[in-house]
Amino acid sequence: MLPSTFEDYLEAVLTVTGNGRQPATMQDIAAALGTGRATAETTIASLVEEGYLERATGDAVRLTEKGRSVAAGVARKHRVLQCFLTEMLGVDADAASKEACTLEHGISDETIERLSSYMEGAEPPQERIRRCRGREACTLLDCKEGDTVRVAMIRGPRRNRRLLDLGIFPGEVVQIRRKLPNQSVVVRVKGCDIAISPEIATSIIVESCP
Amino acid sequence: MRLALVGNPSVGKSLIFNQLTGLGVEVSNYPGTTVELQRGNTCFQREMVELVDLPGIYSLEGNSDEETLVRGFLDRQDTDAVIAVVNVTRLERNLYLLLQVAEYGLPMVVVLNMADEALKQGLEIDPGPIRDLLGVEVILTAASQGKNIDRIIPAALAATRPSKGEIPYDHHVEAAVRSLGKMFPADRKESIRALQGFGDNPEMLEAARTIADEIESRHRMTVAQIIAANRHNFARRIADLTLKEEAMLPRTDLDSILTRVFPGIPILLGILVGMLLVVFIVGSFLEEVIVGLFNVFAIQPFLALGLPPLAEALGTSVLLALQAGFGIAFPYVFLFYIIISVLEDSGYMTRAAFLADSAMHRVGMHGGAVIPLTLAFGCNVPAIMSIRLLHSRRERIIASFLVTMVPCSARTVIIAGIVAGFVGIGAAFSVYAIVFVLILITGLVLSRVAPGERFGMIMEMVPLRRPDPRLVMKKAWSRLSEFLFIAMPLLLAGSVVLGLLGFFGIMAIFEQMVEPYTMALLGLPGYSATALIFGILRKEMAFETLAILAGTADLGMVLSSLQLYIFAVVTVLFVPCLATITVLLREVGSRITLAITLYTVALGLLIGALMYRIMA
Repeated sequence: MLPSTFEDYLEAVLTVTGNGRQPATMQDIAAALGTGRATAETTIASLVEEGYLERATGDAVRLTEKGRSVAAGVARKHRVLQCFLTEMLGVDADAASKEACTLEHGISDETIERLSSYMEGAEPPQERIRRCRGREACTLLDCKEGDTVRVAMIRGPRRNRRLLDLGIFPGEVVQIRRKLPNQSVVVRVKGCDIAISPEIATSIIVESCP
Repeated sequence: MRLALVGNPSVGKSLIFNQLTGLGVEVSNYPGTTVELQRGNTCFQREMVELVDLPGIYSLEGNSDEETLVRGFLDRQDTDAVIAVVNVTRLERNLYLLLQVAEYGLPMVVVLNMADEALKQGLEIDPGPIRDLLGVEVILTAASQGKNIDRIIPAALAATRPSKGEIPYDHHVEAAVRSLGKMFPADRKESIRALQGFGDNPEMLEAARTIADEIESRHRMTVAQIIAANRHNFARRIADLTLKEEAMLPRTDLDSILTRVFPGIPILLGILVGMLLVVFIVGSFLEEVIVGLFNVFAIQPFLALGLPPLAEALGTSVLLALQAGFGIAFPYVFLFYIIISVLEDSGYMTRAAFLADSAMHRVGMHGGAVIPLTLAFGCNVPAIMSIRLLHSRRERIIASFLVTMVPCSARTVIIAGIVAGFVGIGAAFSVYAIVFVLILITGLVLSRVAPGERFGMIMEMVPLRRPDPRLVMKKAWSRLSEFLFIAMPLLLAGSVVLGLLGFFGIMAIFEQMVEPYTMALLGLPGYSATALIFGILRKEMAFETLAILAGTADLGMVLSSLQLYIFAVVTVLFVPCLATITVLLREVGSRITLAITLYTVALGLLIGALMYRIMA
């Protein structure tokens, strides 16, 4: 389960480069997602660390085999959903594309397969597909005291086994109980308060924070 | 018969163990207290039952020392039944471990402890679902009031069937378990562990890794994450069935004051300084009383006997050693241990660790290091033992250096007795200031040069609770007796040797030999070198020895303020005492111990010499 932000980024790299074999520059990616360069850079760095992207010349990155399969999967979901929304339900193209951007992250492979065969493989022409805007990927450190967030991913999952055993794993909802100016945080999970050092908190990527 | 207690940290395992066996096991309210197996016996219907208290852990698949120890113990099937202790106010998280223990297939009984606190929080507990789903006996207890504790042993002895509960795993994991079970003679538990890379059959691990890679690429989560999530979700289901929340009663949330920068940090500093002040003031008052009583009722009557000179010298040495031992042990060490026990049992230490985390990062450790560093103010020996709760060797090395530099209560005696007594209380605090600055510098330097990976802190904030005075006294007493056990023989032997050396005039020769050097380097008379050397045995002996060798307890008469000040600073920094060196050897090895010893000697002499140059 990859956070939707990451899927957006991989999808953007794929669309920027056409077939996904050429490298894409940081600027292109940021532009495609309509996000700032600095935000793009931190997320790209995580994706490189996780092995979805690899560094090419300069600040450009290229999709790895693993990244390509994710990106292609998401892109396909987008196309199928958009087609379904416009052709079958008659939703306006712009609105359909926007909806598809959200739905593509939650829907299962199986449902997409069935939807696709239901529509007999119809897909909208490539040029009518709008790109999805990038959302901000944030870590536990970007949240405020009192926020309730869902853990999306943990970077370097093999490093901090204790997080798993205390109940901090992808999909779990946690509440930020305390955040000191020096970035140490306390989160409440399963009714227990857990104190976490900044360098560990920064490896916990969360969703649905402001 | 042998029974083992398993559970999360701070669930009341040690308390239950204590009540069942009547032994003095230490109970602490911070994770990682019990690092070794505690064993005790109890009698039930004329049958001997051996109880084993396993260290508190969060999981059987982690890699900390405690987790490895418990895993090994359960793997050997070294017990007839398992008593799984659960904190019912944190049921869901506790059930996660319980489910792992249930997979081991040992006969089991579940103890839902802290039922009284759950009631106070407005929780209604129904033990039925756990009994039905896991097929084991469930007992509701309140260990702090001793309620239902007597039902545990009979239930555990009657438990013969292993738990029948099975965790429903993700279907890919279940498929993997089935195929591993066909390929190898492995049961469910072994297959699950092989998928996470645990086990001793290399072929099976190889096969499990291939399957795990396949599952990981499909789920984009590691197998360990999937398995943990399945267990947590099952635990949540059971917890939801077991607990019914009536009305959430409003609770005062002390953490809203304790864990904020303000007023949290002032409170933390206030507690540390207050602790030192209390030990300083009350301790020195009590010490005077005890030393005075000893003089009047033991030493003077003994001298009045008029024994032959050699016997008199020996007897006086023994009496002086006893006087020094009791004069320090009770006022300073006991007092300190009482305060520390209150802090530990209340759960405040984990708050202190959280607040100090970023400060500790600067000196190359994480917040957990606050616990050994605070303990070190009492005695370095238990402090060195507690550095095990730091994860990496790098942190343990840094902590062992810094802990040995912290002025323990014996060194407080020197600072209070020599500097506060003859120079002034302000000067006494300046000695602390000098030592703290040196500790800080050492930490900053070590965090740059010490090799190894950095680890952050992931620490559970244990619930705050009111410490039980009986338990506090019991714990302080057991630590004090440990201290006396290590310190007293050394003190007696050292004192007798010193008495004999003085009697035969060997001391005088040694002093004449070193006097030119100590005078040139530190401006101190020769006999102060002897006092320093005896300080290696026990730090406070440096003070006692100095008084004996100077021939008067009124040191201000024979030495100048500067000399006394320099003597105190050098003694405080100079070499950890013998007992500390012994535990250092056990915990960090001979090379690091030697490095620490050389470093502290050099530092003590260097700082002393610098002071003499600048101030004289």
